Amino acid sequence: MENIDLLIDGFGHILSWNHFLLMMVGVTLGILVGVLPGLGAPNGVSLLLPLTFSMDPISAIILLSCMYWGALFGGSTTSILFNIPGEPSSVATTFDGYPMAKAGQASRALTLAFVSAGLGALAGVVMITLLSGWVANFALKFSSPEYFAVYFLAFASFISMGAQSPFKTLVSMMLGFALASIGMDTISGNLRLTFDIPELIKGVSFLIAVMGLFGIGELLLTTEEGLRFEGIKARVKLAEIARTLIEIPRYWLTIARSTIIGIWMGITPAGPTAASFMSYGVARRSARDKSKFGKGDPRGVVAPETADHSAGTSALLPMLALGVPGSATAAVMMGGLMIWGLTPGPMLFTDRPDFVWGLIASMYLGNVVAVFLVIATVPLYASILRVPFSIIGPIIVAVIFSGAYQVANSVSDIFLVIGFGLIGYVFKKLDYPLAPLVLAMVLGDKAEDAFRQSMLMSGGSLNIFWSNGLVSTLMALGLALLLSPLVFWIVGSLRGRKHDAAAPHGDGNAAV
Amino acid sequence: MRTERAPRLLPLLQVPIFRSRKVTIMSENSANGVSRFVVELGVAALTGAFGVAVCYGSLDIGAGWTDMGPDAGYFPFYIGLLIVFGSLVNIGQAFVKHRGTGEVFLDSGRAKVVASFLLPLVAFAAVSAWLGLYVGTALYIAATMLLQGRYKWWIALPAGLGVSLFFFIVFEIGFQVPLLKGPVEAWFRIY
Repeated sequence: MENIDLLIDGFGHILSWNHFLLMMVGVTLGILVGVLPGLGAPNGVSLLLPLTFSMDPISAIILLSCMYWGALFGGSTTSILFNIPGEPSSVATTFDGYPMAKAGQASRALTLAFVSAGLGALAGVVMITLLSGWVANFALKFSSPEYFAVYFLAFASFISMGAQSPFKTLVSMMLGFALASIGMDTISGNLRLTFDIPELIKGVSFLIAVMGLFGIGELLLTTEEGLRFEGIKARVKLAEIARTLIEIPRYWLTIARSTIIGIWMGITPAGPTAASFMSYGVARRSARDKSKFGKGDPRGVVAPETADHSAGTSALLPMLALGVPGSATAAVMMGGLMIWGLTPGPMLFTDRPDFVWGLIASMYLGNVVAVFLVIATVPLYASILRVPFSIIGPIIVAVIFSGAYQVANSVSDIFLVIGFGLIGYVFKKLDYPLAPLVLAMVLGDKAEDAFRQSMLMSGGSLNIFWSNGLVSTLMALGLALLLSPLVFWIVGSLRGRKHDAAAPHGDGNAAV
Repeated sequence: MRTERAPRLLPLLQVPIFRSRKVTIMSENSANGVSRFVVELGVAALTGAFGVAVCYGSLDIGAGWTDMGPDAGYFPFYIGLLIVFGSLVNIGQAFVKHRGTGEVFLDSGRAKVVASFLLPLVAFAAVSAWLGLYVGTALYIAATMLLQGRYKWWIALPAGLGVSLFFFIVFEIGFQVPLLKGPVEAWFRIY
C-alpha cells in the first residue's frame, strides 16, 4: 500500500486554490479546444505548452493534463449534439449519440456520455495508481538495449495495430525519425541533414509539426467539406440528469468491458481512437438485441465513451513509467516534460515523486472537475459552434500562428507550420496516419541514443538485442507484432479464396 | 451532407463500408479533378525523394563507424533507407488499390474552396513576418470577415482589432510571452 501513501502525499502537493483554478482553466480551454473543429487535444496542448515554460512543472502539468481531459469531453459534446466529432476518438460516439439527441434525448445522451467517460477515466487513474510504481521499478532494470527494445515494441505495435496500410504507417513514422534527427547531433555535436539551410540548424520542433499537421491540416479539411452545423438545441435538465444517473448501473457490464479494452489500448500505443471503435464493435456484437444500435442505443454511447477516456488516461502510464507515450497527446506532454527539464521514465519516480504523484492525484480531481464543468457548460459551447466558420476559422489560424512563433521566437516556424499543414491535409486524405509521425519526432533522439549506446556496448553487433531474457522477449514481441499484418494478410487471402463474399463483414470494426 | 462527412473522419480506422461509399460519392460528383491515384503516386514519390535526401545527407556526414562508436549519420541513414523502401511499396500499392477506381482527390470546385482558405493564410504569414503578428492578426481577421464572411467594415475592423488586443492582453500581460512585433508597434513605443 506504499502507492496509496504516495498518492496521499501527491494530494498534499496539489491541494491549493491556485492549482484548483488551473484545473478549471485547463478543463475549460480543453473543452473549447475539443469542441472547435481543427483544434484537437494534441494541438491544444502544443499551443499551451510555450506558455508554461515559465511555470513550475507541477502547475504546468496540471494545466496541460486537465486540458487533455477537457478536450476528450468536448469532443463527445459535438459528436452528440452536432454529429460532428470534435476529436477523432469520439467518432464512434456519433453512431448512437446523435440519433439519441435527435429523438429528444440529448440530455440523457450527454449525461450518459460524460458519466461513463468519467468512470472510464477514473478506472484508468486507479490502474495507474496501482501499477505505475511496479512498472517503474521493473523499468529500473533497463539499460540501453532494453530501452531500444521498448521503443521498437511501441513502434512495431503501431505498424501492426494501425488500421492504415502498414507501409503508410512505416513511411509516416520514419519521416518523424528523420525530422527528429535534423539539426545538432546530441552525441557528436555534428550538424545533420541541414543541407546548409541556416533555419534548420536548431532542428524542427515537434510542436510545430503538431500545430501544422493537426491544426492547419484539419482546418483545410474542414473548409473543403464546407462546414455547416445543424445542431440540436440542448438544455441539460437537472431532473433528466438525475434519472439518467439511476440508469447507469444497468450498463455495468458494458462499462466494465469497455474499461478493460480502453486500458489495454491505452497502455499499448493503439490509443483512444482504436479503443472507442473496438469497444463499440464489441458492445454491438455481444448485445442480444442489436436492432437499436445505430438508431440511438444508450449502450452505443456508453461503450465508446468509457473506452475513449480510459484509454486516454491509461496512455499516461507508459509515458510516466517508461518514457514511451501511448497517444499523440501524451507524446506532446512528454515533450513538455523534457522541455521543463524532467526526464520521463523510471528515474522520475525516484527523483521527483512530488511531480509524479501530484500529477496522478490531479488526474483524480481533474476528471471530477471536468465532469461537472462539462455538464454545466454544454449550452455555452453549443452556442459557440453557431458562430460562422468565417470568423472561427481565421481566429483559430491566428492562435496557431501565435503559438508557432512562441515555440522558439522564430518567424520561419510560421511558414514551417503552413508546410506541415499541407502535409497533414494531403496525408489525412490519403490515409497516412499522423500520430506515429509525432511520436517518432518526440522519441527520435531517445530511440537513437539507446540504439547507439547499445551499439557502443556491443562494438557494433546486433546480437546485443538478444543477449538476455528480458531484451530478447521484448524484441521477439516487437518482431511478432511487426510480422503480424503479413500473417493476417496471408491467412486472409487463403480464406478469401475459399469463400469470397463472407470475409468483409466478419470484422468487428466494420460494424456500423 | 451527413454521408459525406463520415468518411472524412474515418480514415483513421478505415471502415470498409464507408470507404466504398466514399468512392461512389466522389465519382458521382465530378469528372474533372485530380485523381487519387495520381496524388498517391506523387506523395509516395516525394516521400521517396525525401528518403534519398536523408540517405545522401547521412552519408555526407559519415554513416559508418568511428572511434567513438556509430557516426552521426549511422542511424538516419537506415531511417532514410526505410523511407525509400516504404515509399516504393506505397507506389506499388497505389497501382493495385487506386488505379482505375475513378476516385477523385480534389475537384476544381473544392480546390477553389481550399485555396480561398489557404491563400489568405499564406498572405497572413507573409504580412506577419514583415509587420508583426499583432498587425497581421488584425488585418487577417478583418479581411477574411469582410471578403469571405461578407460582414460590413464597421463590424469586421473592430473585430480584427479586438482579437489582436485580446492576444496582447493574454500573451504579453497574462503569460508574459512576447509575440513578434513590427514597425507599427515601434511607432507606439511598445516593445
